[in-house]
Amino acid sequence: MSGAIEIDDLGYSHPGVALPALREVSLVVPQGESVALIGPSGAGKTTLLALLDGRLQGWSGRVAVLGSLLDPDRPPPKGRRADTGFVFQEFALVERSTVLRNVLNGRLGRMSPFRALMGSPTTRDQEVAHRALDDCGIADLAGRRVDSLSGGQRQRVAIARCLAQEPRLILADEPVSNLDPARAGEILSLLTGAARARGATALFSSHQPDLARRFAQRIVGMRGGRIAFDARTSDVTEAATAELYRDEAPTPAIGLRAVS
Amino acid sequence: MRFRSGGSFAAGLLVAAAVLWSFATTDVELSRLMSAGPRIADFLGRMFPPDPSVMQEIMTGSAETLRIAILGSLGAVILSIPLGIVASETMVSPALYRPVRTLLAVIRAIPLILVAMLMVGAVGLGPLPGIIAVAFHATGMLAKFYAEAIDGVSRAPIAALESAGAGPLVRLRHAIWPQMAPVVARDTIFRFELNLRESLILGIVGAGGIGFYIQTYVRSFQYDKAASVTIAVVVMVIAIEIVNAALRRRFT
Repeated sequence: MSGAIEIDDLGYSHPGVALPALREVSLVVPQGESVALIGPSGAGKTTLLALLDGRLQGWSGRVAVLGSLLDPDRPPPKGRRADTGFVFQEFALVERSTVLRNVLNGRLGRMSPFRALMGSPTTRDQEVAHRALDDCGIADLAGRRVDSLSGGQRQRVAIARCLAQEPRLILADEPVSNLDPARAGEILSLLTGAARARGATALFSSHQPDLARRFAQRIVGMRGGRIAFDARTSDVTEAATAELYRDEAPTPAIGLRAVS
Repeated sequence: MRFRSGGSFAAGLLVAAAVLWSFATTDVELSRLMSAGPRIADFLGRMFPPDPSVMQEIMTGSAETLRIAILGSLGAVILSIPLGIVASETMVSPALYRPVRTLLAVIRAIPLILVAMLMVGAVGLGPLPGIIAVAFHATGMLAKFYAEAIDGVSRAPIAALESAGAGPLVRLRHAIWPQMAPVVARDTIFRFELNLRESLILGIVGAGGIGFYIQTYVRSFQYDKAASVTIAVVVMVIAIEIVNAALRRRFT
């Protein structure tokens, strides 16, 4: 079975920034696996996820997503973009629209251009959207405007929009960093569970190694734009994760990271 | 920061020269200036009491002015939607939005009354040149407002729809429009208010509306009738302001 993600010797620098954001990154993720990307701020997690989503150009190396090579010079075509779903850290919802409208927005890449422009989803589009709402436990919020929701509810809407896309690969950039620990666990459980139920691959980044341990089959540690380790969750030691974050806490004596 | 004394002296000379030049080259004889006060008083005396018999003309003229403002605003909205899109940073490249913005600035710089005079020359007397002039003049401001409304929305949902495979126009419709709609409503009402006020005088150059009667009655020395029309215009302006203040409260 070919990998959902196949990266070979990837390098990328943000325009006008001398220090590369990604260096010599090689990674293979098989279809259906849930993988966590951990590491301190500036490690390159967000850059890697945006690049896999087809939003960055001008990189070097070889990247294949869902069996198709990405072009380093131009974004992928519409249909392939829809195959890759993305859950944003800041939810990225249209605040003044209803929950259902936002979830149907996930279908736009699957509709004919005319239907997309007119905002007239087919019966199947509506079924997929309602199933996504059900799976995220927010069917009762369908008619509410997003600006009246809590943070946890918003992230459920964002995940429902992603699921409505019927993606084969789900990328999530810090999907729980804006939520309290209890909500964070619920949302990651929902995200990885929904991916597993659909046979989709999930790659999510997180600041919290303990959450990665609970919800990922495999953990990839990043530091300074490179992959520091890549192992099955059971093989990742506390020492390995602590090493990733070694200079993030200014006062090591407190040892917050070790406790968590 | 201090003014350099040499600089302010030169500026004073310049102002004095400008005033002297205006006096010397304008036909303002001292005797005429002195008699202007009594003449104005006499003129105002002849305006009083206003002649209420022109109510029919006031109604006809006001209705025509209102129609010019409505159709002119409609034309401006229709023109401003595509122009606003191509004047926004979010939707197009700098190579397109920079020249479009310059064009809109040039349109804004041309006074409405001048556009109306040119349009009367082009299409003849009546409300049609007024409507065309209002649509043209208002587009300069409205398209700029629409472009700013597009550029003022939150970018994150646009990126999310792009990631889901939506093209630029679909993103405009489903990510940008829901966010900008209240701004567009407020700006359009504001521009309609300006259009209504400004089109009150269009009749003076023959471009239709109530202004035609002011000009007709002044030219034919029927100052009492001109006074009635003037009062009607003032009442309309106040009424427009009250209605728009109420509308604006609803949209903010």
